[in-house]
Amino acid sequence: MTDDTTTDGEPRTDGGTGIVPQDDQAPTWTERKARTQGLARLTYEYFERSRREDEDLRHESDYVERDVLAFPTWPHEMIRNLAITSFFIGAMFFISAAIPPHIPSPANPDATPAVILPDWYLYWSFGLLHLDPINPELALLGGEKLMSDRVYGVLANLVVVGFIAIVPFLNKGSARRPVEEPFWAALGVGGIVFAFTISVLPVQNLVAETFPMTVPELFTLTFILPVVAFFLTYSVLKTMREGYMFELNRRYYRLRPPK
Amino acid sequence: MSIERKDEFDRDEWLAERDLSPVEEVYLISLMWLDKRLRIVDYLELLEDMYYKTNLQMPKSHTEQYNLDNKFWYWYPLYALGSFSTIAYVVAAITGALLGFYYAPSTASTEGMRTVAYSNVLFIMGDLNFGFFLRSLHRWSAQVMTAAVFLHMLRVYFTGAYKEPRELNWILGIVLISLTMVFGYTGYLLPWSQLSFWAGQIGVEMALSIPLVGEWVAQLIFGGFTLGEATLQRMYILHVFILPFVVTALIAVHIGIVWMQGIAEPH
Repeated sequence: MTDDTTTDGEPRTDGGTGIVPQDDQAPTWTERKARTQGLARLTYEYFERSRREDEDLRHESDYVERDVLAFPTWPHEMIRNLAITSFFIGAMFFISAAIPPHIPSPANPDATPAVILPDWYLYWSFGLLHLDPINPELALLGGEKLMSDRVYGVLANLVVVGFIAIVPFLNKGSARRPVEEPFWAALGVGGIVFAFTISVLPVQNLVAETFPMTVPELFTLTFILPVVAFFLTYSVLKTMREGYMFELNRRYYRLRPPK
Repeated sequence: MSIERKDEFDRDEWLAERDLSPVEEVYLISLMWLDKRLRIVDYLELLEDMYYKTNLQMPKSHTEQYNLDNKFWYWYPLYALGSFSTIAYVVAAITGALLGFYYAPSTASTEGMRTVAYSNVLFIMGDLNFGFFLRSLHRWSAQVMTAAVFLHMLRVYFTGAYKEPRELNWILGIVLISLTMVFGYTGYLLPWSQLSFWAGQIGVEMALSIPLVGEWVAQLIFGGFTLGEATLQRMYILHVFILPFVVTALIAVHIGIVWMQGIAEPH
């Protein structure tokens, strides 16, 4: 036996490297799919199906595909973007030079300051920690609160953030503009107003000193004002909606005349 | 007959038959001399190519296509808020890296109530060239980033840009805005001033009030139940090591998804 033949007498074609080229024996993708079991097989089947669906949709569609399927960002907007970026960075330099921050006195664990506040963007969260007046007392537990006020405050934070996170799963459909969805727009405006009112809650003592208002009244306003903002926005948008939708539909059907 | 090879592109002859002024002639000769050695013409071609590429007519954007400019031009600045927060983030990163040269997270006492961290900030503000401005810029860019991120979220909410197929990017945005606030909070604690200390106190109490795992969370994030050296060091490492990597990566994914899916324009 020489180097040129394998054990069964066939000539060696792999150049002696031992790397065998794919032949009929190597499974094709279809065969691999057929042999695969369980979840992997399901994945293969789904991909094949969705690819076929895409293909079908593309055939049916009369939409002319563009080469660029989004905003082209390079290069015709680059000069404008550079200008905006430079202006924005310049504005930050200007503010930094004009209003530099000063540093408070060093940390002193023994002296509690009169006003304890986090940075402004955490006011809303800080406010949610002051919800103890509405922490329910359950008669079942003999007037005891189900959870401590601090747990309640932390939970309120989670509830607010959690609700915002699931908004896309609650509000579906293709409507985009506030006029098309007065409810959700009003909810947003109410949310913004609530973010402000709940931010005022932690400094209730200061507010009570400055304005003729008791702390319970302030607490009530914290929840009343967002509701007022909600209904105000809702009614305004509802009123606007009819005329606006008419314009919108006219524009839409002018562009895509009904068949 | 000359032995010298006849030049196919007889430039001298071409030069002679043109009626050029001395200035033009000197210019052209030096250009040819340089071109022969440096192939300038190639680079000119490259420039020309770039010129025509940049002046190509690009595909129309949605607003142009449907002539919505009259309706929407005043919304355009709101569509720049995402970029603004990214730019502010970059500015904060650069200034933060520079500030990092002059800051050490230590609560060791220097004089009176002052700690090393606090004294370092005083040094940056008082003695370091451009230090006051540097800290100011770092702080303001952080403030601007947070503000821009909030407004960006409002824009996305009110234009319905979170809807299918962009739900996941919305959730990623919620994660990013939360991390931005954590970024701000950890940074707020670093000067170890009176405000920092009591903000940290609130943080520890919040962590402790989480049911079941509260004490564990307080240990992990604040390094104990009372504020001290461990707290400052953990805030520092979160602020300059962990969060920058995590947030930068998430911003890249966030923008990548926007790039992939396209900007959601109002319809």
